Amino acid sequence: MPILSKLLKKKQKQRKNDNYRQQQDPQKPENLPILREYKDNISRIKGEFGNSNDIVIREIVHCKHRGALVYVDGLVDSRAISDFILESFNENDIDTDGMDYFQFMTEKAVALGSNEVIHDWNQVYDMLLSGNTIIFLEGYNKAISGETKGWEKRAITEPSTQLSIRGPKDSFTETLRTNTALLRRRIKSPNLWLESMRIGTVSQTDIAIMYIKGIANEKIVKEVKDRLKRINIDSISSSGYIEQLIEDQSWTTFPTTYHSERPDTVTSQLLEGRVAIIVDGTPFVITAPALFIQFFQAADDYYSRFDISTGIRLLRILAFIIALLGPAVYIAGTTFHQEMIPTTMAIAIAAQRENVPFPAFVEALIMEVTFEILREAGLRLPRAVGQAVSIVGALVIGQAAVQAGFVSPVMVIVVSITAIANFSTPVFAMAIAARLIRFVLMGLATILGFYGIMLGLMFMSIHLCSLRSFGIPYMMPIAPFNMRNQQDIFVRFPIWAMKYRPMFISKGNMVRSGENQKPGPPKQGDDNQSSKGES
Amino acid sequence: MRKIFVISLLMVLVLSVLSGCWNQKELTDLAFVMAMGFDKGENKKFEVSFQIVNPGNVSSGQNGAGQGLPIAVYKSAGNTLTEAARNATKMISRRLYYSHTNLIAISEEVARDGILDVMDALDRDPEFRTTTQIVVARHSTAEELVSALTNLDKLPVNKITKELKTTESMLGENTRVNIDDFLAGLVSNGKEPVVNGYIVKGNKEQIGRADDLQKTKTETFLEANGLAVFKNGKLTGWFEHEKARGVVYVLDKVQSTDINIPWNGKKHAITMAPIRTKTKVSVHFKNGKPIINIAIEDEGFISEANTDVDLTDPKVIEKIDKLVEKEIKQQVMESIKDAQKIKSDIFGFGERVHRANPKLWKKLKGNWDNQFAELKVNVKVDSYVRREGIRTNPFWFNMNK
Repeated sequence: MPILSKLLKKKQKQRKNDNYRQQQDPQKPENLPILREYKDNISRIKGEFGNSNDIVIREIVHCKHRGALVYVDGLVDSRAISDFILESFNENDIDTDGMDYFQFMTEKAVALGSNEVIHDWNQVYDMLLSGNTIIFLEGYNKAISGETKGWEKRAITEPSTQLSIRGPKDSFTETLRTNTALLRRRIKSPNLWLESMRIGTVSQTDIAIMYIKGIANEKIVKEVKDRLKRINIDSISSSGYIEQLIEDQSWTTFPTTYHSERPDTVTSQLLEGRVAIIVDGTPFVITAPALFIQFFQAADDYYSRFDISTGIRLLRILAFIIALLGPAVYIAGTTFHQEMIPTTMAIAIAAQRENVPFPAFVEALIMEVTFEILREAGLRLPRAVGQAVSIVGALVIGQAAVQAGFVSPVMVIVVSITAIANFSTPVFAMAIAARLIRFVLMGLATILGFYGIMLGLMFMSIHLCSLRSFGIPYMMPIAPFNMRNQQDIFVRFPIWAMKYRPMFISKGNMVRSGENQKPGPPKQGDDNQSSKGES
Repeated sequence: MRKIFVISLLMVLVLSVLSGCWNQKELTDLAFVMAMGFDKGENKKFEVSFQIVNPGNVSSGQNGAGQGLPIAVYKSAGNTLTEAARNATKMISRRLYYSHTNLIAISEEVARDGILDVMDALDRDPEFRTTTQIVVARHSTAEELVSALTNLDKLPVNKITKELKTTESMLGENTRVNIDDFLAGLVSNGKEPVVNGYIVKGNKEQIGRADDLQKTKTETFLEANGLAVFKNGKLTGWFEHEKARGVVYVLDKVQSTDINIPWNGKKHAITMAPIRTKTKVSVHFKNGKPIINIAIEDEGFISEANTDVDLTDPKVIEKIDKLVEKEIKQQVMESIKDAQKIKSDIFGFGERVHRANPKLWKKLKGNWDNQFAELKVNVKVDSYVRREGIRTNPFWFNMNK
């Protein structure tokens, strides 16, 4: 580890010397101007793209002017091209003498939503690959770029990983614009600001940063932008890349940014002052800063009544603790602290373990690893085989292993409870952290019993307290403790009592709701209110 | 950053070294000692019987349990408990484990000679729990007591500990005494310990035989029997039935019991079953002499009325209350008198005096046993019949009309 971090430091230093990001990528062609002869331009494009046949080049003749359309098949809406571009080239009886033909075509003829005049090749490639159609005209050293974007989109479907019972059923898709629209539709305020940039020197992935001006902390917004600008990488395949490139701390199993595929979740986070990062091509939107407790808050918590959601949230935290400690406690209990188990139970466990050939740790490890393999296999399996594997898995873990005497039935219970508890964490990133730490704690429990578990938990707490997410302490508002923000931690207060936005994350505009939001029947003698209600 | 890594690495390394002397022990390498019996040895001072559970035969599960006997008893001798325990390792394949020991049985013989030599080992061992129940094996050896099998509870120990708990609250002739209680009584000047007696009834040949359990009425069985009274760590006498109950009454351990009273000249005509009983012991001083006041308050219901009696009449109920009070008072007074006869302050009156008047206690404590024998004790009982079950008047009442 020390060597690795040393290496990384060296690299970071180098990067600093590079003076952040080079705007110009060496792989990209030089920024050349567009040539007057359109044929030269076409041959240049052909050469540059290596004659890829999805680059459609169509030569046209219009009122004695010659030119060519260039677009990428599949990225464009072919109906838009035929209806709005080709149509205008068909009107051949226009007298074009004495007027600026290029100007005319840009303003009048090409009837598209947005037309742009471009001058250099970088722009050409940019536009072309974004789904625009480039029109070269003979004799002009510039080109028209018409917006004809329109590629196959996946429809908005129900979320597949963060389900909710009462909440909205839509989820983000792979299309950036759809995603920003989903958020815009939920927050109809001009204060919802959107800034976009492109990251990935080769992939040129579109990225949008959204936040609510006046609610979000300006410093954090700036920090997010700075960190994004710093990224110098060839491509961004998924928002997971961004997440790992802007984290505060890499040496941790805990997620320090939040991600969600639910527009309602992201909306509420924006309203708490967080910043959303939307990456084109990923249905998961990142929000930052993220706090530890946030990973235990599910969307449904806010849609059902507060008493119920409080109970369920506490249950979720308990499940997390079980997922973390289950096998470790079993190992410690059966190999160190037999006196802590009630007599009858101790005898029952001893009876079951009587014929097990392995020590408790090995037994637990075998079962845990088997289960992890099954789970991983289940994720990647083709659907058709899935059922077969789950049956085999259930038989292997559940029955055969016990009957063969390799593991005790208690161990099966412990492993299954742990596994099920692990799935109750709403965000997968946090669940997986518990999964990893579980093995460490199992090892500690084997060496030192409960003392080891406590030691492990202490290290874990210290580590958690040392984490920061965009400068905000990860354990806020538990440590450092903040009374005002306890309204949504272990106990979810009624909506009318959740008056304040989280501290530090939001700045300036802290109050969410007005006074006297508590509902109730009209008070006697309070005539004004009741008459208002009637009218 | 690097420093932290180095430090944590060192810590982990140091910890793994420590693990060598740490007591990691697999469940399957342990012999759970459920009960221990102390008998007088022939050559050595003690013969200790270890009742060890055979987990596979107790717990029912997939491994085809319940075929063999649930316990195995090993006996070894030693001049001290530790010596005996170490000698036992020659006979037992697993490490003796005492954390789940729930019963200490001491033979009457050992108890009469004094059991002080046993107690420190039990008190000192970190594995051993001082909440373990202690009983005296009456009319039999402790070995026989811990070897006996029982048919309702698979583990004989559970039978004994549960039985003591049940009978304490339902009958009140026995009271649970653990090592802690016993030691507290032992070291205190103003209190002497009592211990439950247990006997093995029936055919002793059948002790520990599985075929005996095949009968609905086993030939041998265990029964709680009497309270052993100790003085200076030695057994000095036994209290039985009502007298034992009197002791338990004063110790405020009775919850429910049965009080029979005569009616219309018929003996045991009405039975009152208290459901709540509270005893308060206080001291007051007269002419520099302590006088003990015992106030017992109990509430209960009529559980039987085997005579013609009008239970709807408040005056009758009042009379029943009076008779019950008299009966309880008599039982308590008799136990006190008996205890005074053997000069053993099992009620802890001395402690009460100590608390009430420490200065006086300093003078009294040297000669407390004699003081106790002459102590004046007032017993006041307040009894209330609160209900009569689901009938008001018994059928006798209508029969004679």
